[in-house]
Amino acid sequence: MTGASVAVPVVDGLFALVAGEARLTGTRCASCGTHYFPRAISCRNPACRDKQVEPAALPNTGTLYSYTIQHYQPPPLFRMDDWAPYALGVVDLGEGLQVMGMLTGVPLDEIRIGMALRLVIEPLYLDAERGEVLTYKFAPLGGEQAA
Amino acid sequence: MSRPVYVLGAGAHPWGKWPETTQLQMALDAMNAALGEAALGWPDVQGLVAASSRFQGGMGWGLHANEVAQAAADQGMACINVGGACAAGAIAFSTAYAMIASGQYDVVAALGAEQMPRGFIPRPPGSQDDPTDHDYLRWVTMGATNPAFWAMEAQRRKHDFGTTDETYARAAMLMRRNAQGNRLARFRKETGLEEVLGSPMVADPLHLLEICPVSDGAAAVILGTEAFARRSGAKLVQVAGCATATGSFGDPGRRIPTVSGSVRPGISSTSEVVTAAERACAMAGIGPEDVDVLELADNTAWHILAWPELLGFCEPGEADGLLASGAFDIGGSAVALNPSGGFLSFGEATTAQAVLQICEVSWQLRGTAEGHQVPNARIGMTAVLGLSSNGGSVILTV
Ligand SMILES: [Zn+2]
Repeated sequence: MTGASVAVPVVDGLFALVAGEARLTGTRCASCGTHYFPRAISCRNPACRDKQVEPAALPNTGTLYSYTIQHYQPPPLFRMDDWAPYALGVVDLGEGLQVMGMLTGVPLDEIRIGMALRLVIEPLYLDAERGEVLTYKFAPLGGEQAA
Repeated sequence: MSRPVYVLGAGAHPWGKWPETTQLQMALDAMNAALGEAALGWPDVQGLVAASSRFQGGMGWGLHANEVAQAAADQGMACINVGGACAAGAIAFSTAYAMIASGQYDVVAALGAEQMPRGFIPRPPGSQDDPTDHDYLRWVTMGATNPAFWAMEAQRRKHDFGTTDETYARAAMLMRRNAQGNRLARFRKETGLEEVLGSPMVADPLHLLEICPVSDGAAAVILGTEAFARRSGAKLVQVAGCATATGSFGDPGRRIPTVSGSVRPGISSTSEVVTAAERACAMAGIGPEDVDVLELADNTAWHILAWPELLGFCEPGEADGLLASGAFDIGGSAVALNPSGGFLSFGEATTAQAVLQICEVSWQLRGTAEGHQVPNARIGMTAVLGLSSNGGSVILTV
């Protein structure tokens, strides 16, 4: 992360730093053990009767299940400074949970299915009113990190 | 009670970009064409089931069937409007089927008409900026377009089965080749390998010509009893099976717009479509091996390879070889895949698309699919997927 004085998450309550580590905030069903991201109001498992859901900090390392490189700029709801083609991936975080997100810290032609990744929080764009706006991304585990 | 239901007539407005006409006019054109084929008139129609548009018309709340009734035949018809995104047409068909099978009505039409916005399909109007809403999150946190979801499936298939870029391109070429003789298709020019692979990369590994664009179009199917089916003197096309379904917990597919999955072993990808197709097959008492024509929702070239495997037409990983050998061609040794030319040759007019698939199968079985006829087609099937876990499948027989 950069040292900007004001930095806000792109969406509140989606991720947080827990003991200095980036973690996604999701839901765990205490009844059947299923993990959900983002937070879920109930458990979707039809065999789960009690559906006792509780907030949970999700696993923050995993492996790349698949990826793509977006070559066209998405519609305006998505903002990103210095737009250029970028990678999106699906990351298997274990326990059946797969999460999509931007990939960072790896050249586009060096992305490989199966590579080990970790969750990071990085700037997406600078907003005149809100300051630096952050999102979650996945970076190579143990590799150098962008920014 | 349940009684047999027949397709009396099918009709469609050609697919394209038609800014000078209206969605309502296209719906009326499709209905009138279907009525003509059925040798019926508006006074015979007792019910109208519309796949409600997300984008236009319907007085802002999707009252599409009522608009058609008020424009063409103010006669007390039952009007039903159903949602279901790109699967809405199949849901409308299943509803019309049930209205006749139940004995409550004798002639009911299912229809869909759409004028699409340009470019990427936007978020539905009025959506909340909700931190638990996947559709909101996929845009603001990462900008994931629909092609990105399909591209990740296509990339994974390369890893799992060694599918090549050329195979994806050839899947798209098959669609364009089939569309050449179909007057309703928007893109009817035969497309070469260099042209597909030379088209802009949208989301690796998918090129522009391997992804369906959006189009305007309308289609209608008139369903009815055997007595009405005999009126036109045409070959009797029976509804052997039709079903809708939603997804299964643990589905490993990349499901637009969800930014995550809670995956469980042993669950099929695209489970809503697989379940709908299984139900339709069970109802018809057939299996995939009996099907002569399959119209599937080819949003991309990946779908043309993956869906026949998911639906049980061949084993996982086998579709590449079948495609290369020409088995999926019109007149090929396996099921004829999208003889219409598919979404890749039509462009997607969301709610109308599933109705068009059923029209196409009906024409194939009647032997009137001029320019793209599958020889001796006797059993035809459709399969479609709509956002928010909607699957639909229809089986017709002669
Ligand atoms: Zn549970």
